Order: sequence, then C-alpha cells, then structure tokens
Amino acid sequence: MFLVLGSMSISLVLITVFALATGPSGVGMSEVIDLLLSGKGDAAVRDIVLGVRLPRVILGVLVGAALASAGAVFQALLRNPLADPYVLGVSGGAALAGISMLALASQFGLSTAAVPLAAFAGGLFATALLYWVSGGRGRSSPTGLLLTGVVFNSFASAAIIFVASLAGFFDGSRIFLWLIGHLSAVEIDAVGLVVASVVIGLTIAGLLARSLNLLVLGDESAAQLGVSVDSHRRWLLVGTSLMVGGAVAVSGLIGFVGLIVPHSLRLVIGSDHRLLIPAAALTGAGFLVLCDTLARTALDGRELPVGAVTAIVGGPLFIFLLRRAQSRGPLG
Amino acid sequence: MGMKSQSESRMGSGDPASPSRRRRLDRQSKAVVWRRSLIVVGLSIGLSIVDPAARADPADEPPAVSSLRLISLNPSLTAIVIRLGARESLVGVDEYSAELIEEVRDLPQVGGLFDPSLESVLALRPDRVLLVAGIDQQSHGERLERLGIDVEVFENERLEQVLENIERLGSMLEREAAAAERIAAILAMRIAVAEAAADRARPATLAVVDRSPLFLVAGDTFIDEMLEAVGANNLARSLGAGYPRGSIEWVIGAKPELLLDMTPGGEDGLAFWGRWPSLPAVSSGRVLTLDASRISLPGPELDRALRELAVAVHGTAMDRKIGRRLDAQTPSSSGSSRVSRP
Repeated sequence: MFLVLGSMSISLVLITVFALATGPSGVGMSEVIDLLLSGKGDAAVRDIVLGVRLPRVILGVLVGAALASAGAVFQALLRNPLADPYVLGVSGGAALAGISMLALASQFGLSTAAVPLAAFAGGLFATALLYWVSGGRGRSSPTGLLLTGVVFNSFASAAIIFVASLAGFFDGSRIFLWLIGHLSAVEIDAVGLVVASVVIGLTIAGLLARSLNLLVLGDESAAQLGVSVDSHRRWLLVGTSLMVGGAVAVSGLIGFVGLIVPHSLRLVIGSDHRLLIPAAALTGAGFLVLCDTLARTALDGRELPVGAVTAIVGGPLFIFLLRRAQSRGPLG
Repeated sequence: MGMKSQSESRMGSGDPASPSRRRRLDRQSKAVVWRRSLIVVGLSIGLSIVDPAARADPADEPPAVSSLRLISLNPSLTAIVIRLGARESLVGVDEYSAELIEEVRDLPQVGGLFDPSLESVLALRPDRVLLVAGIDQQSHGERLERLGIDVEVFENERLEQVLENIERLGSMLEREAAAAERIAAILAMRIAVAEAAADRARPATLAVVDRSPLFLVAGDTFIDEMLEAVGANNLARSLGAGYPRGSIEWVIGAKPELLLDMTPGGEDGLAFWGRWPSLPAVSSGRVLTLDASRISLPGPELDRALRELAVAVHGTAMDRKIGRRLDAQTPSSSGSSRVSRP
C-alpha cells in the first residue's frame, strides 16, 4: 500500500516538475531546475514559472484530486460503475448555483467569495436529488441514475445559459469557459475556501474509506459489520459535494476525470477504498495537470480549455465502460 | 450565402467599383468568425460611443429626402446612421445599439446581436434591415430575405470596410456629404498620426480586448491597422488573424513594452498585469487602460480612435503634433483623398 502510494506521489512530483518546465514560451527544464533549486533566474523566467505555470499546476492538482476521488466515492455509494460528478449532474448543479451567485454578485457589486459556497450548495442539491431518485439506498438501475444525470445536466446547462443572458451578454466567453471547464483563472477570489473544501472533502472520504468498502456490499451487511450506515453515507455525500463545489467554483465543468481515473485504478490496484481514495486523488491530480499541459501547449501561444482535452479522452472511454457494465454486473 | 450574393448584386447596381469590392469582401469574409468576439467586447460597455463634441456638430444638410424605414442590427451601423444625421430613418435597433448609443435608447428593440427576434423585426414593417454578416446574423438575414424583407449586409472587420460602410450608408440615406466628411476625416487622421509618429520608436505592443479569458488583437483587424498607423508594433500578429485567445505565458514571453488593455469594465490594468513584474510594460509603468467603446467599435469615429491611440502609444505631446499635421493638410487634398488612398 505504501509502496503504491509512495510511487504515485513521486510520479505526481515528476509530473508537476514536467508541467512547470513546459509551456508555449520555451522556458524549459534547465531554467526551471535552476530556479527551483537555487532561486536564481531572470525576472521573466520567474514570472512565467512561479507566476503563471505554478498557480495553474496547483489548481490542476486540487481540482484533479477532488474530481477523481469524488468519482470513486460516488461509484461506491451508488454502486454504479459509471458514476462521476460530471455525468451525474453534480458538477452541473454546482456550476448553475455558482454562476447564479456570480451573476448576483456582479449585478449588485458584491464580493464573489460566496461563489464556492453557492457551488457547494448546488452540488449538494444535485447529489440529494440523485439520491432521492435512486430510492435512497442506491438500488435503482445504473441506467435510471445516468438518465437522471443526463437530464439534470441539460437542465443545468440550459439554466446556466438563461442566467447568463439575464446577467448581461458580455460574459459570453466566460460562460463558455465555465461550461467546458478550464484552469486558466488568474484572479481567484476565496482561494482559501476552495483549498479548504477540497481538503475537508478528501479527509472525510479518506477517513470513511473502510465504510465505503462495506457499503458496497449492501446496507444490511454494512450495518451488521458495525457501520453506522446512514450517518456515514450522509457525511460522504456532504464531503463529496463540498469537493466538487470547490473544484467547479474555480474551474467550471471539467468532465470525465472522476470516471477515467478511478476506473483505471480499479483495474490495477483493486477496489479497496482505503487505497483507492488516496490513489485516485494522487492520480487524478497528475492526470489533470498532464491534460492541462497539453491544453496549454497544443496550439502555440493560444490556449485550449482543459475540459476539451478530458472530454475527448473521456467520452470514448465512457462508451467503452458502458458496454462493459451492461455485460457484467455493477463495479465489475 | 444566397443572401450575400444578392446583397452584393444590389450593392453593385450603380456602383462602378463593385467588382473589386466584391473580391475584397470575399477575401475578408473568412475573418467573420473572429468578429463575434470583437463585437462582444466592443459592445460590452454601457457608455455612449458618440461623444458630446461630435454630436454637437450636426450635418448641415436638409432632412433626409428618403423616407426609408430602417432597422439596424449592429451598433457600429447604428452609430454611423446616427452620425450621418439620419436618426429619423431608424424605426428599430438591436438591444446593444440601445445599450451603447443614447440617441436610440427610446426606439423599439428587436432583440440581441445573436438572437434578434424575427417577429419584432417584421412587426416594425421596415423597408430595409442593416446587419453585419456575422455567423448568426447571416442566417437571420437569410430568413428575413425569404420573408421578403430587403436586407443590406455589411462587413466591418477592416478599416477599409468601415469606410465603405460609411459611404454606402451615406448614399442609401442621401447623406453623401456627411459621409464624405467622415471618410475624409478618418483618412486625414490616419495620415496625420502616421506622419506625427514617423520619427518615434515603434514600441513592442500588445492590445488586450479582454483579460480573463485573455483575448488579444492580432493581425487583419481594424484595430491592428490603427496600431500600425500610429506606429505601434503589434506583437500578436504572430498569432495570426482576428482576436485569438492568448495565454498569459505567451504574453510574458513576448516582452511587450506597451500593454493597451481594453477590457470592458476593467478599471485598473496595472493592478492586473502588475502580478507579473517582469513584463517590460509593467516595470516601466506603460500599462494603459483604454475605454473599449472609444477604440474597438468599428463606427464613424475612427479618427478619434486613431488620435487617442496615438496619444496612448506616444504620450500627450503627440496630440498637438497631430493637430499641426492636420492643419498642414490642405482641405482639398484631405477632401478628395478617398479616390487616391493606398
């Protein structure tokens, strides 16, 4: 276990350094290593590495960790292999609430610090809705849940566009970035709130990982084995919504990270959530940082939103997993 | 596309210059995609684009003989119609014209730039609808034509096209003299700023239309042409044409000596760009926050925009120098330069 997590941590560090050394301006590895080890480097290199790339890498780590571990938790809680905050509409709910708050804030000249809080509330609402639809015990068919997610997602996107047109059309390109998901935010209000929400959510998921293992077996078995089913489930749902809300508030709707990462990990390290949750966080962080590095550099001097990259990778994988899930059982 | 050829043939009738114009339009229609971001940016400030001094100078012409009922679906066209003194011809405008231009605020509005309402347009029984051939407005115009409404399509990507728009609207509204005055003033100003800036160093410049997400002014745009005229070296030309989404890292690597920030509602450019102190423009304090509505609306006041850009690039001393250059131009040469301009 420690071997696995240790090597994943080392990989994440290497990915981070690679991302710091890659970008459209041609500031490369040797300058970055000089700067990191000795603090030396000319002012432009310092600005590029510490002022542009580093904040983005940190954002990628936070958001990737949050989305991937949230995906792992949802898959276990809903006993559904295709669960993912984006597919289920949880991100959509968070984005809708976040955007509405942003619109209100700009309308009335308020601080945008409440945006992450609103996103959290929206994510929580969407999670509660899903849970209610799934009959409260995660027993509904995978298709039923996915349909709810799909419908809720289109509802959320439509409502986001509606709010955006009410709030004033000039934010059009910003709304587009929210809908596709990006890590290019430079001015982040309440960055502390976002960090806190991700850390708290990860901690809850990590602490309750053993219960997740048992909840997968079914509520009765879990209760017999000493899990306080209802309260643990509630904590997990709140924690996950918190993480997703924080991530969406800064990055918008980045899709499929919560699907790709836990799934690939289950194939490699198995389904023990005590290992899977931290592993998903580390791998999700690395995966999103890599995707964003691609997004930053694919078009010279121009930028792609990272959500476009994850969706292009994630969409086909989702179809593949859906086919597999239909032929095997849940969490097969 | 059908609409386009129709409008061109209509335009061509009685216009000897039409074959070359048609070629130009075809060439430039490729850049249409980029217009959208510019328009969004250009329109997004709720300020009037017509300054009081300019408004106080009414074209001393008789009231329009033509009793055309016009609807304008683009603020740059609305601004031209107003500036030519033909406010009374307008029976309706798009929402953003109303937002930007005080004179048309009380006119019926027929929806947004990208979502105009067909029904509201029809209800106003216009003789002619004016629009810019953006992607959305193109299909909108085609639908209007199918309903038997006369649609006049304009392009406003390049400086040359804006001058053409002024000329076309001038003859449509029988305000030829006012149109000629505007065109001559813009051309004279272009020459004056170029002459005044000729002996100045050309600062490495980036013009920002929005900072978050970051959009830059690249080549083949009227803003780039104005930057060129005032002697600014637009580094973003290397990113291609139009208004591309740039990356901050690229901006830092490009080392601009001058940053012109036209972000709508963006108050203090230096507060934003100051977080990257290695930017030469930041360390020398040459981050200028410009009012987008005065620079990036391809309307009838590009002479004012040119002058303000020249002052932004070279300092306030430039203003008097430009004034002297303008005075030195003989009235006849500036009045007839339309034919002989490069």
